[in-house]
Amino acid sequence: MILYSACIASAVGLYLLMRGTRAPIRAVGTIAALGGFAWLLTATLESIDGEVAPTLLPILFGVVAVMAAVRVITHRRPVFAALYFILVVIASAGLFLMLHAEFMAFALIIVYAGAILITYLFVLMLAQQSPTDDGDEGSAWYDRTPREPVLALLAGFILLAPLTEAMNDTRAQHFEKRAEAVTARAMEQPWIDLARMPRELLRVVRRVEPTATEVIGEPHLHGDVPMVMARLEDGTETEVSLPPDAAPTNTRVVGLALVANFPVSLELAGVILLMAMFGAVVLCRKQMELGEDEAQQAAGIGGGQSS
Amino acid sequence: MNLLAAIDAAPAAIDLIDPKSMQLMLTFSALLFVIGLVGFLTRRNMIIMFLCTELMFQGAALAMIAFGRMHMDPSGQVFVIFILTVAAAEAALALGLVVLLYRKRDTLDADSWSELREC
Repeated sequence: MILYSACIASAVGLYLLMRGTRAPIRAVGTIAALGGFAWLLTATLESIDGEVAPTLLPILFGVVAVMAAVRVITHRRPVFAALYFILVVIASAGLFLMLHAEFMAFALIIVYAGAILITYLFVLMLAQQSPTDDGDEGSAWYDRTPREPVLALLAGFILLAPLTEAMNDTRAQHFEKRAEAVTARAMEQPWIDLARMPRELLRVVRRVEPTATEVIGEPHLHGDVPMVMARLEDGTETEVSLPPDAAPTNTRVVGLALVANFPVSLELAGVILLMAMFGAVVLCRKQMELGEDEAQQAAGIGGGQSS
Repeated sequence: MNLLAAIDAAPAAIDLIDPKSMQLMLTFSALLFVIGLVGFLTRRNMIIMFLCTELMFQGAALAMIAFGRMHMDPSGQVFVIFILTVAAAEAALALGLVVLLYRKRDTLDADSWSELREC
């Protein structure tokens, strides 16, 4: 019930933010939305009794992400909305870092903030209408007037309320049940991954035992210490304990999973990108149908047959 | 640089994500998704509508990484790579389309194309 009231409060705040034309109304909306989100967060956090309290950083990044997202959908000027979206991307990259997905965090910043958002900004410049005098801050009327805000907020927050409710009900119990298994898995998973990278494994073994020529079998946990059998240059076999920093890093693990577990999907992703490129080229070609011969000649294709 | 090295070198078992942080991440991802949904439904500007779909992608990606972290499984991050791919492809196509539509009608208002619907 608390969750539903929190959802309603943030929905009302968002409505005032969207609809309000004057500063006081928007201020009330901001306060209501902030209060609603804070209420939602504390309600979800209190429903779970974990041993470790969440640290400040995830909350900070998350709040920045959500606030910037609200600005994306309420700001009247599209360019500012796009800039706020960059803030969302950076904040969620911070959240990814908190979740130990370092590679994805930086890939997100490079691809989203660096490439996709720049495309958006270019298109905004291409398609921006010249500022008119009647609008506030020179924004077009369709940026100032939301469409069906009540219905949209109803749909959105009717989705949000059961979502948070369902997470609260079951997440904690499931987690308690799984915690031991996941902890055990976390202990051995790096070494299972390392065993799938034979060259890297040999390199690690050579760091400890410089004369090792071959690794026999797979690494196994001896208590807390990962051990592996190795054959030395003089033919003797010995057990080598791997250093803890030999565990593969996040980038290696993701790369291994990507190439070893999902090779077909990787190829399909390439096909999707290629098709998108073709699509974009076809869309743009339609524009210059008149000058096609000249364009072909300029590009050096089909120049011979037309002349 | 030291911070990153420390994060990378830390054994995974010690800072396993606790239920509260998990809950926090899932709540943030749900909020991002819902805000994107509301934005897609309420905004009239076609470019902002596509920006809101990117917002929804962000929410989904955050949930996937959180679940992947919870199960100690890199598949969650692999899914996010594919989400990035689809987002990039979608952005290229959709923005090309938006520019075409803008040249035809001289407005970014999605309602100016409402005669495309059936009724």
